[in-house]
Amino acid sequence: MAKKPKIGMYWASSCGGCEIALVNLHERILDIDANFDFAFCPCLLDTKKKDIDAMPDGDIAITFFNGAIRNEENKEMAQLLRKKSGVLIAFGSCSSEGCIPALSNLHSMEETLKTVYLENPTIDNPACIIPRPETDMPEGKLHIPAFFDRVKTLRDVVDVDYSIPGCPPEPHQIWNVVDLVIQGGPLPPKGSVIGAGSSAVCDECERKKEDKKIKRFYRTYEIVPDSEKCLLEQGIVCMGIATRDGCGALCPKVNMPCTGCYGTPEGVFDQGAKMVAALGSVLDLGNTKSLSEDEIERRIDKLIGSVPDYAGVFYKYSLAASILKGRSR
Amino acid sequence: MRIGVYLCNCGGNIKDKIDAEKVRAGVLGLPGVGYFKAVDFLCSEGGKDFLAGDLKTERPDRVVIAACTPREHENTFMKILASSGINPYLMQMVNVREQIAWVTEDKAMATEKAARLISAALRRVSLHEPLSKREIDVCPDVLVIGAGPAGLKAALSMAESGRRVSIVEKSPVIGGMPVRYEELFPSMECGPCMLEPVLSEVLHGEHSENIELLTLSEAVGVIGSYGNFTVKIKKRPRYIDAEKCIGCAECIGVCPASAENEFNYGMNERKAIYVPFAGALPNIPSIDETVCLRLKGKECSLCLDACPVEGAIRFDEKEQTIERNAGAVIVATGSGLYDCKKIPNLGYGRLSDVYTGAEFERMLSSNGPTEGNIKTSKGKSPKSVAIMHCVGSLDKNHIEYCSGICCQYAFKFNHLLGKKLPGVRIFHFYKELAVPGKEEFELYAHAKGDPNTTFIRYADITDLKVGSKGGKKAILFKKSAKKSDSVSVDMVVLCPAVVPLPDSAKLGGILGSPADRFGFFEELHGRLDASQSKIKGIYLAGACQSPMDIQSAMTQGMAVSGYVLSGLVHGRKLEISPVCAVVDPEKCSGCRVCVSVCPYKAISYDPEKETAAVNDVLCQGCGTCVAACPSGAIKGNHFTTEEIMAEIEGILR
Repeated sequence: MAKKPKIGMYWASSCGGCEIALVNLHERILDIDANFDFAFCPCLLDTKKKDIDAMPDGDIAITFFNGAIRNEENKEMAQLLRKKSGVLIAFGSCSSEGCIPALSNLHSMEETLKTVYLENPTIDNPACIIPRPETDMPEGKLHIPAFFDRVKTLRDVVDVDYSIPGCPPEPHQIWNVVDLVIQGGPLPPKGSVIGAGSSAVCDECERKKEDKKIKRFYRTYEIVPDSEKCLLEQGIVCMGIATRDGCGALCPKVNMPCTGCYGTPEGVFDQGAKMVAALGSVLDLGNTKSLSEDEIERRIDKLIGSVPDYAGVFYKYSLAASILKGRSR
Repeated sequence: MRIGVYLCNCGGNIKDKIDAEKVRAGVLGLPGVGYFKAVDFLCSEGGKDFLAGDLKTERPDRVVIAACTPREHENTFMKILASSGINPYLMQMVNVREQIAWVTEDKAMATEKAARLISAALRRVSLHEPLSKREIDVCPDVLVIGAGPAGLKAALSMAESGRRVSIVEKSPVIGGMPVRYEELFPSMECGPCMLEPVLSEVLHGEHSENIELLTLSEAVGVIGSYGNFTVKIKKRPRYIDAEKCIGCAECIGVCPASAENEFNYGMNERKAIYVPFAGALPNIPSIDETVCLRLKGKECSLCLDACPVEGAIRFDEKEQTIERNAGAVIVATGSGLYDCKKIPNLGYGRLSDVYTGAEFERMLSSNGPTEGNIKTSKGKSPKSVAIMHCVGSLDKNHIEYCSGICCQYAFKFNHLLGKKLPGVRIFHFYKELAVPGKEEFELYAHAKGDPNTTFIRYADITDLKVGSKGGKKAILFKKSAKKSDSVSVDMVVLCPAVVPLPDSAKLGGILGSPADRFGFFEELHGRLDASQSKIKGIYLAGACQSPMDIQSAMTQGMAVSGYVLSGLVHGRKLEISPVCAVVDPEKCSGCRVCVSVCPYKAISYDPEKETAAVNDVLCQGCGTCVAACPSGAIKGNHFTTEEIMAEIEGILR
């Protein structure tokens, strides 16, 4: 029997949801096992880093790399797996675009550590210990991986072949990718986003869309939306218009707005900026022709002021991959 | 890729600030640069010949020309590229004159800036795609909405040049407002008489076979765009066969049913079968189905019996919806007057003998409700009349602008009152006076010099209070901050602001032509293109665009004819610029964000394909939709996101 190609999955700064999405393939996980040698997956298997070190370069046919690059260890594993993998795929929103971990790019490393280790109300840390790369202990120096000032995407630290978007990627889309490899179909051009569509979520959303004019925004708890009409037209910031399709419009289907996890649509540089530009185009300020600039500004402020946390709404998933990348310091 | 770079010295204009040799050194090593040449005057005959010859010798893949503003010579150089066998869109101009040489003091900085902008152009131009213009067939026919002075002038002049014109008029008569006014400012010409030659040319003149007049009709739908509109028209029945009717009016006298005559603002009655006023054209009655006994299902055939022509009265006529194709649509629907009831202190609608200017015009007309006699509600000739200027005008609580025509007709009233009622006392209450123009001062001067005329200036319309006292109108007004005074008159005439017609928003919606902040049809440019709407192929003539007098309306009627005659020419195709937005249907998710942002109504949503589509005939390539499209599905030809990003990167290198 011919030797099966190796497949791997690694988690860097992530929540584990990507692994759950993989396991959500249910019985099809057996098809993966039938076609691949599942060589590395810290969440599911006992393979160690030293085992990877021992492999020849390029030995793993495909590695799904999930999680953002938050610290030195994440970067080291990314570099190692790049070397050992034929095809390295950024798997899920964190490794593709930074996702929620990257929202800490709005703060300095010091602020982040202080919040997490000292100010968080559930923390009891009377000695005010904050993790550092080196700590002197009676037994000697302790080393932990250095924490980066900014969360990076996988592409920021190594060469990436493809990315699969989603927080997490939908199982049927994971299967589409695996199946393409099993069927031996031609692989898409390097750099492509795979396991997703080429349009936006609205393409898969069956809600009725009209020409858009938004008079005010609502947070989801403030309104019971009509289940037939476009959520954005009802004033709920639904990111579907500026988010790649492929998920099946799951959130709008259950009356919740898309929050943008499938990331930047094909050909768009910056998801948040695109969303802001689009919303700016459809704000309904009423008849502004006789108004002073101050009055127009006041109306705009009032309208967009009802959107809480601009970065958290517009860049919830894509901040690390955006043009601004975070707050400058 | 081999890019040719030309730097024009523009004599000393550019050379004095930008060192061509240093730019050459900075540019030559950049990716794609095939050669760099500095030329003295690239736009001169010699320069153009050089460029044409050089392009043929060098055969570059792309061209960068660093010279003046592209506003000045982009077209010049594009033509040279085209004649040299290079697609003209494979060129990028860098404005090193206006944006660098003329505004940068320091030579070294100017030179550095030029090199950076050329670097930007190089990165951009390497992404340029060859584009070509598209040509479409056009329909040279025209549809005019509104048969007032502006619409008729436009229709007539276009018909004279051989165009087929359809005029859509809502009322049963043509001529608009002035045919209802017996005498017109500034030279007291008779309105119907002055317009009669225009009206009869339209109806029976040499070129009238090119004109189709659709009265009692309204445009209810428009599809298509410049060059090829299809307009849906609802035509209400007149119940009279216009071909057969001889206009003898025998039918009118015998008609037993009547209603308020709206053409006289309800000041008298008309019959169910009627001509609104004597001399109205076309001279064919119409039947008001809401009043006619027979059309309401009762027994009556008095008009039929009286009519000397068999089959002229047609009770079987039905409302029709018809369609007309036209390359251009002219809106000439006119304007209305501000509702004086919104200023209750003036007593309009509450007190007798308080009239608007339009009502007073009808009273002055010999074919009006009083046959030209000025009478109070008690049937007496007034001994004193107050004329209120600026009613609602120049007032931030009502209408902010000055309508510009009211003072002139107010002084016309002054003249006519004096003529018809010698010795009558006249009071002009005014906020401001406006009588510009070479002829318009005379009526004003006449009023000023009239010993029976008094001018009283007020600060705010609320300072005037009109009440009823002993059968007269008592007008209380502020003389100063503390002192009030009053005058007593027999009649009050209000000169309200000229405002858009209530229906104009509806028509604007049908045509996709936006309204300005006051509700008038918005012009493309207030100074340069006041007769073009924001929508290509929809033109504006007369008071639907702004308050104006007959002279201006006629001039605009000619102006719109000019646009049509020069833009839509028999046998000539319409050239469509390739610099427009293009939707990628694969990427478009059908979210419809783009549809509402287009200022030219060039984007529509296709409900079958569930995607947006851009009409390149209407698209002006402004890029608003490209920026707004949240899924990157719209590409701005010649201004693609990639080209713009490359340009920015080239500057920031």
